[in-house]
Amino acid sequence: MSEFKDLTICKDAQIMLKKAQEDGIETAWDRLKKQQPQCGYCELGVSCRICAMGPCRIDPFGEGPQLGVCGADADIIVARNLARMVAAGSASHSDHGRDIVEVLHKIGLDKTSGYNITDAVKLKSVAGEYGIKTEGISEKEIARQLAEAMMDDYGMKKDMLTFVGRVPKQRIDVWKKARVVPRGIDREVTEMMHRTHMGVDNNYVSILLQAVRSSLADGYGGSMIGTELSDIIFGTPTPGMSEINLGVLKEDQVNILVHGHSPIVSEMIYIAVEDKEMLALAKSKGATGINLAGLCCSGNEMMMRKKIPMAGNHLMTELVIVTGAVEAIIVDYQCIMPSMGQISQCYHTKMYTTSDKAKFNFMEHVEFTPENAREQAFKIVREAIENYARRDKNRVLIPDAPVKSMTGFSVEAIVGALGGTLTPLIDAINAGKIKGAVGVVGCNNPKIKHDYGHVELIKGLIANDILVLTTGCVNVAAGKAGLQVPEAKEMAGPGLKEICGALGIPPSLHVGSCVDNSRIMVIAAALANAIGVDIDQLPLAAAAPEWYSEKAVAIAFYAMASGIYTVLGIMPPIGGSRKVVDLATSGLNDVFGACFAVEPDPVKSCALITAHIAAKRKALGLEV
Amino acid sequence: MKTVIVKPERCVGCHQCSFQCAVAHSTSKTSMGAISESILSKPRIRIYLSSGKENFPNKCRHCEPAPCEMACITKAIYRETKSGIVLLNQDRCINCGMCAMACPFAVVRYYPYILNREAAHKCDQCIDRQKEGKVPACVEACKAGALLFDEVNKKMDEDTEKLASLIYLGIRQRVQEPDTFSSLIAYKQQLNEIRRRQS
Repeated sequence: MSEFKDLTICKDAQIMLKKAQEDGIETAWDRLKKQQPQCGYCELGVSCRICAMGPCRIDPFGEGPQLGVCGADADIIVARNLARMVAAGSASHSDHGRDIVEVLHKIGLDKTSGYNITDAVKLKSVAGEYGIKTEGISEKEIARQLAEAMMDDYGMKKDMLTFVGRVPKQRIDVWKKARVVPRGIDREVTEMMHRTHMGVDNNYVSILLQAVRSSLADGYGGSMIGTELSDIIFGTPTPGMSEINLGVLKEDQVNILVHGHSPIVSEMIYIAVEDKEMLALAKSKGATGINLAGLCCSGNEMMMRKKIPMAGNHLMTELVIVTGAVEAIIVDYQCIMPSMGQISQCYHTKMYTTSDKAKFNFMEHVEFTPENAREQAFKIVREAIENYARRDKNRVLIPDAPVKSMTGFSVEAIVGALGGTLTPLIDAINAGKIKGAVGVVGCNNPKIKHDYGHVELIKGLIANDILVLTTGCVNVAAGKAGLQVPEAKEMAGPGLKEICGALGIPPSLHVGSCVDNSRIMVIAAALANAIGVDIDQLPLAAAAPEWYSEKAVAIAFYAMASGIYTVLGIMPPIGGSRKVVDLATSGLNDVFGACFAVEPDPVKSCALITAHIAAKRKALGLEV
Repeated sequence: MKTVIVKPERCVGCHQCSFQCAVAHSTSKTSMGAISESILSKPRIRIYLSSGKENFPNKCRHCEPAPCEMACITKAIYRETKSGIVLLNQDRCINCGMCAMACPFAVVRYYPYILNREAAHKCDQCIDRQKEGKVPACVEACKAGALLFDEVNKKMDEDTEKLASLIYLGIRQRVQEPDTFSSLIAYKQQLNEIRRRQS
């Protein structure tokens, strides 16, 4: 067991890693070991596979080539590679958002059997932002018009995305000056791919500014649309209690897991699981019920809105199968390790793919469309129930008991908890009871001890009276560590403890999935607007202690460009260019009033962030 | 005694061996640290293309007797008796170039190793890593099986067994089920054929 303690801080993960070893299952940790040492050129970002004159690499030790075949130096190659990571990240969130726009459009056209408008108030307020008349017009018609207006956000009709209007005017001026105002979501991603084609943009600063613009098309485009429309269709989250860790699986029930990102699929599975006929079927097969739980951001979406328990984050997704207690896992897209299909073959677990965009070996494809989603969800749930009979009880091991965790802190819920305005929060910041706020977001990465980076950083921040907002995999880490219940106020500094006690909230608030980082942007912008300053003047920061994905790079870019100092726990592949490193870690300050830092040690990153927040408070004339 | 055995036919030319060699011989031993040091570490293994355009990873063979050792007038080059590894004391090196001229494999290079002073650089078979129970950095880096760390005689025995089974099972059957590398080699041979025809 001791060797597993070096890999993860989670008891459930340690127990499952031991079982995985006994069962002969290889995990991400094993595969990382086999990949050592990883490609040094790629690690430093100095390898280029963009064209067929290559592949090329720059020798960072000065003996070999210093230019690619086209003549690109290390700065250009590093910038192009990083920019393409941002483009891929933006594309991912934005394509997720696009699917939800499509559903809204189908609702408007009355072409879906399963989806409806749940939050009509939000529908109208968002439609208002798009200049759509709502008075005397049916919800469906508003939905159609809003969906079509959002489709224009994806195209090239506009000079500026609609949601950019949410940030303070000063920030828009910063973006205008740097020429990074996002115009169209797909346009910025496409232009990024164009610019990084051989022989287009070959100035590393110019390349990276377009990367910033692509990221803003994500943060204030694809992601924000994804969040707002998910709220409109499935309901704006409200605070409530749920549970986290592998202990949420039930030994005597049919366990069904949703994994991926889009609530379009998981919400339909939820409807099927709640169905009485399905429950009766499960009982007829000897189970006492049907237990739905989440993984990764599908889980976050379901936890936020329906308080569905969360089985685990990114590095738990393989281990959950090893419990031997899972009848079915339904995936859509993003962050689904292809190894899962293979591992599921070693147990009775059935895996289903649902999106035309994401197919995997050893998984059955049951395609979900806005038209057929309901029927497909029932089909899968029925098969999962049938599969319960195949469970080998001798191979089942559900470790640990679940931990309680609070969830559902949408922007509306936070404002609601504060009594309808942000004023109490601003007063608390002014009085120094809350020193500042930090979004701790991002993934898991086996290069960092699982959940250690997240949990240690959050503990350090709340002890310093800094309010924490979590999304994505961090929610699971924080929840498991008991940081997201009101009682966790005892771990907070005296000021934050007092505020949390008064409002009955935890010092670390779960605000959603990874597209829901847009919620953090909305709060930051609203705070800045309420105080009358730009976002970069606020005592805010962001951190991604265990990031791995391209989406995380896009998020980091839009947070930074919004004026929020961002600390990464893993070095992005830019080390091969001194100029790009200098730009990222200081030069950006002159343009956006924020920059990046890289610090794998959560204790040190906590010190960096508290120092940054103290400096921002001082500049605002507040007590440090 | 274990040594680095090179299988040039497996080399894909990724240069990972050179990279990790330079990192292993740096002060910091990390890639980010190594490229930031004031005197950049240099690799002791390099990949060249043969006239037939095949990759050829080249490094010190730690010959016995070693021509470089015999040519070294200051006794900077010496053999570590226990491991048989040919080592180089850079402080004794006078940059005369004799070892480079004597080396039949052309693996010696001259680079700065401290401020304002150059000395010969050659492979030390990662003797420090070996003391920690690790294999040489180039071997660890090679994911294609072109660099192995083994006893030569033992490895040759294994290779002979493979060759024997290949012959007795029938070479034709093997050809019908090519592995990834044999198809890559076939592709390269085809390219070479085209080049030869053109010249």
